Amino acid sequence: MRGLFLASACVCVLAVFFISAFLFVNGLPFFAKYSALDFITGTEWAPLRDVFGILPMIVGSFYVTFIALLIGAPIGVFTAILLACFAPKPVVKVMKPAVALLAGIPSVVYGFFGLMVLVPLSRTLFGGTGKSVLVASVLLSIMVLPTIIQTSEAAIRAVPQSYYEGSLALGATHESSVFRAVVPAARSGIISGIVLGLGRAIGETMAIIMVAGNNPRMPGNILSGVRTLTVNVLMEMGYAADVHLESLIATGVVLFVIVMAINFLFSFITRKRIAQ
Amino acid sequence: MMKKLLALILALTALSAFALAEFDLSQTIAVVSREEGSGTRGAFIELTGVQKKNDEGKDQDYTYAEADFVNGTSLVITTVSTNPAAIGYASLSSVLLNDTVKSIRIDGVEPTTENILNKTYPIARPFNLVSKGELTNPLAVDFMNFVMSKQGQEVVAEDGLVPVNQEAAEYTAANLSGLLVVGGSTSVAPVMELLAEAYTELNPEVEVDVQSTGSSAGVTGALDETYMIGMASRELKDSEIENGALAVAIGIDGIAVINALDNPVSDLTLEQVRQIYTGEVTTWDAVAK
Repeated sequence: MRGLFLASACVCVLAVFFISAFLFVNGLPFFAKYSALDFITGTEWAPLRDVFGILPMIVGSFYVTFIALLIGAPIGVFTAILLACFAPKPVVKVMKPAVALLAGIPSVVYGFFGLMVLVPLSRTLFGGTGKSVLVASVLLSIMVLPTIIQTSEAAIRAVPQSYYEGSLALGATHESSVFRAVVPAARSGIISGIVLGLGRAIGETMAIIMVAGNNPRMPGNILSGVRTLTVNVLMEMGYAADVHLESLIATGVVLFVIVMAINFLFSFITRKRIAQ
Repeated sequence: MMKKLLALILALTALSAFALAEFDLSQTIAVVSREEGSGTRGAFIELTGVQKKNDEGKDQDYTYAEADFVNGTSLVITTVSTNPAAIGYASLSSVLLNDTVKSIRIDGVEPTTENILNKTYPIARPFNLVSKGELTNPLAVDFMNFVMSKQGQEVVAEDGLVPVNQEAAEYTAANLSGLLVVGGSTSVAPVMELLAEAYTELNPEVEVDVQSTGSSAGVTGALDETYMIGMASRELKDSEIENGALAVAIGIDGIAVINALDNPVSDLTLEQVRQIYTGEVTTWDAVAK
């Protein structure tokens, strides 16, 4: 029995190990041919002329993720507060499965929804092609909601009841007790929920590729098209060969490093919470 | 507040209804392009002149940076069919099977199988197999027979090309054996792989080695007999013909330029297509008659 548990644990660790090894073994040779600095700071992407600059995609990834969190984080956190402190039981009973369902919708379905509903809507309202940073961000903000809501709600529920009762005993109303005593106490949990959402957003591909326009140049205003790192890999994987293919794997390496940094940030925040 | 919001929504609905009824020619053209590395994009930019030599003498792709880049024929068609202001391109075979978009006449010529075969439609290129003089190697001759047969042309058609031989005869395996080396155009290589696969299924003793090196390398390879058969995705140059190169088209790669059914523009010149795809022209009224 013990062996079974050990084996299960090993599968997970080995998977992480092999994926990292694959990425670095296949991605690093590219940097022998093309300077890593030019790769990360170059602004022109023309793989067929051997010009590989992914700065527009790095900027694009952060741009889209930032706007998505700007929209998604407040909605998510307020929903979590509602679920934990305000909503009557029947409402919670309906909303929790709904939120869980939102997490279960495949990203290609989100993408198709975006392509058929959000893109035409944006086109009617703002003109242009309708594929833009804004549409990609709105779609992403919906996709990160479950992560943010579930983590934040758990954090808020974990705050000792005495905080709330103490505040009430001092004469505060229900609202101010929740917002001044309970939510601040759950702060680091809420922040880690947002950081998890950030990780989800920056890694999303299938939904974004259908609504972002995927222009391999520096993104402009919020209505211009954008290409993210993930999209860059998926977009050209089909026909890429030789150095072009290696450059896509190298793009994956850069993304991997970024996601790893986010995870470290996440564990840093969680550790701080335990220290408190 | 509520009233204002309601009024705004009403105004927007009215506006969108109006937009549906009347196509506004001052609209920006939503240019839809394939991704870098796509064979269709490679052929399109080459045939329309979107690809030009840059100052360093290298071929440069000048596709409009604000275009909407999508990775797949079906996505191009979906994107174009849902946006009246969009323009896109896709291989002819996939457009002919689709009635959600319309193909645009180029220089007054409708993209049909017929017009592609009689070479009047401009955005098309032959996929040629090249040899030094007539083929003599029995294996190469038999492979050629297969490519031009009913089965071979079916493979060609399935890959999205217009087959050149519409009434081909059935191929029967000659049971040869050996190694057949084919090399050249990277655009022809994918369909050649499929042909090789179908051929070796019928002739299990034969091995076909397909090398993708480029059209010019394919012709040179056929002339110096590095390749038993060369592949080229263009017509032969005069100098190559003088050196004894002989080309046989196995299929024609035609690309249709498409827009939405409710877009009134149905005629463009090749030059206008180039201008749209390089971003020199950005609104429909600049190209509408």
